Amino acid sequence: MTFLEYLQSRRELLLAQTLEHATIVLMSVALATVIGVLIALWTYRNPRARAVATGMAAAMLTIPSFALLGLLIAPLGLGYTPTLVALTMYALLPILRNTIVGLSEIDPALTEAARGIGMSRLRSLATVEIPLSWPVILTGIRVSTQMTMGIAAIGAYVGGPGLGNQIFSGLANLGGVNSLNQALVGTLGVIVLALTVDFALALLGKLTQAGQRPKLFRPRPARRPTLTPSTAVPSPSLGGRE
Amino acid sequence: MSHDVMIDLQQVNKFYRGQKAPVVENMSMTIQQGEIIVLVGPSGCGKTTTMKMINRLIEPSSGRILIDGTDVTALDGNDLRRQIGYVIQQVGLFPHMSVATNVGLVPKMLGWDRKRIEARADELLHLVGLEPAIYRNRLPRQLSGGQQQRVGVARALAADPPVMLMDEPFGATDPMTRDRLQNEFLRLQEQLRKTIVFVTHDFDEAIKMGTRIAVLGERSKIRQFDTPENLLASPADSTVAQFIGRGARLKQLDLRRVDAIAWEDIPLIQPDKAANGAKRQLEQTEGSSALTVDADNRPLRWVNADDLTADAGALDGAAGQTVTTVEPQATLRDALDAMLASRDGAAVVVDEHGRYAGTVTLDGLMQVIHHTPERGAPGSGVPDQRSGVAPAAELTPEQR
Ligand SMILES: Nc1ncnc2c1ncn2[C@@H]1O[C@H](COP(=O)(O)OP(=O)(O)O)[C@@H](O)[C@H]1O
Ligand SMILES: [Mg+2]
Repeated sequence: MTFLEYLQSRRELLLAQTLEHATIVLMSVALATVIGVLIALWTYRNPRARAVATGMAAAMLTIPSFALLGLLIAPLGLGYTPTLVALTMYALLPILRNTIVGLSEIDPALTEAARGIGMSRLRSLATVEIPLSWPVILTGIRVSTQMTMGIAAIGAYVGGPGLGNQIFSGLANLGGVNSLNQALVGTLGVIVLALTVDFALALLGKLTQAGQRPKLFRPRPARRPTLTPSTAVPSPSLGGRE
Repeated sequence: MSHDVMIDLQQVNKFYRGQKAPVVENMSMTIQQGEIIVLVGPSGCGKTTTMKMINRLIEPSSGRILIDGTDVTALDGNDLRRQIGYVIQQVGLFPHMSVATNVGLVPKMLGWDRKRIEARADELLHLVGLEPAIYRNRLPRQLSGGQQQRVGVARALAADPPVMLMDEPFGATDPMTRDRLQNEFLRLQEQLRKTIVFVTHDFDEAIKMGTRIAVLGERSKIRQFDTPENLLASPADSTVAQFIGRGARLKQLDLRRVDAIAWEDIPLIQPDKAANGAKRQLEQTEGSSALTVDADNRPLRWVNADDLTADAGALDGAAGQTVTTVEPQATLRDALDAMLASRDGAAVVVDEHGRYAGTVTLDGLMQVIHHTPERGAPGSGVPDQRSGVAPAAELTPEQR
């Protein structure tokens, strides 16, 4: 069976697995965004707390994905949940770190003015600080998304959903009838999906910028967080000036 | 003009943890409604800390602060700050919000409806000299520094707060812009009559802006608290004198206007008067000058007895010296300039139609400088007296 014939014959399954893959990645990134932004808000003003938080998130990133997934089987069993948890843990660092960077790069005169005219802490965060650091936070979200796209494939090892199942069964019966096709479609699928989602996020960035957000307040290139996770599949552009 | 106490600082102290000496020590100060109180002193002396305790951006360690009779700690800090205008040197406009949104922030927090907020924003932009139709939808970065600070002032005024705190508000602008912003602000204040605490380290700015000036030393200790006139005329100690710097006398001349000093009368020679009459008149003046005027009493030239005899007792238009005139609103510095230009050391005061009103002389000027700065009015340092003295000549700013 040629590659195209394989695609044709497994259309339904492949489509379902692609959707599953996208869903679990987006869910974990969404979770990581909520958790990461909260931790960042909680720690960014205190250098020590900040160091502890980013240190822990960075440590999680260094655990090999096979090992982490394997370790999570004991408490969480097989399937969806350990994959989601592992992906969320991996997605945390870029978002956490970028949010901290974004928030601490805000001109202190602005937070002072916000307080001085009577904004509550919450209002200042919601209307001034988070909107102004949003471009940097979004860059973190994009990095996390790209990274977890690849790692999600490994989730199939613990029975997780997604395109990883193609890759794993391809590798499992190496030399078999469709093994090469399976490995290929899984890998290419992840790449295409990653590029598509990244494009969508870039678009989101453009839309939420909507003329109102000045480029002046995006991070300067020199201080832009450089997160190039070794585990990431396609290295997302951190240039962020799309 | 009321004399109600608006802000009352009572023995306020501020300690920071881990520091032995307080940053502000036992500060007491009473500020009347409508005054511009300038806190001036060297950098790091505690001006900003003192000011920020009034709106509780910094909580005092001890002491009480009353605004309009109410202890500021009785209110929630954010509620308090919404009722107090706040302007800082860095302006602090939010870069992702339009000019109108920035201006409308406090009204929005106070729950005004959208229509009213928009109308108010337009009104304020107009007030600070920015055409609303052009500027309301701009982003702050599309404005010049001076325009940004105008918006900063508009934002502080949005909810019409009775009290404003201004921390070196014009400190980041170039001298010409600063001068214009100062003048515009003084003009605004004449209408608005806010109670203002104004921080600066620039003594000339303090003299220009202040109804009263508190010269602060270390730990915000008040070295002298008085009107600009009194401060210049009699500095309390050498430190204050040093801080005032050179040219105190000339600075005094900037503060006062021609109508604040006594005018003298000099002999006028009407055009229809016979030369003989004029001659007799001049002889009586014992050698000093007289002023020839036209039919409408407008000054023409200075003449003295010499001018007459040279011309066989006749006065023609070419004789004598040209006249330098000043209006009553001119500063004494302008008057001095006019005096120096005249042979007799006198400047002729004319009314708005250019008619003779009196003369001011160097002697008169000396008297003012060396005696009490009062103008015969009771209660010097009354707020409205000062704001009226705002550099009159410059008060018609080239509005943009
Ligand atoms: N948060 C703080 N902790 C400790 N010391 C402070 C703090 N803020 C200001 N100070 C000190 O208080 C003094 C007065 O500061 P400030 O009021 O800003 O002075 P000014 O406005 O007159 O220049 C300075 O010596 C400064 O170092
Ligand atoms: Mg200061």
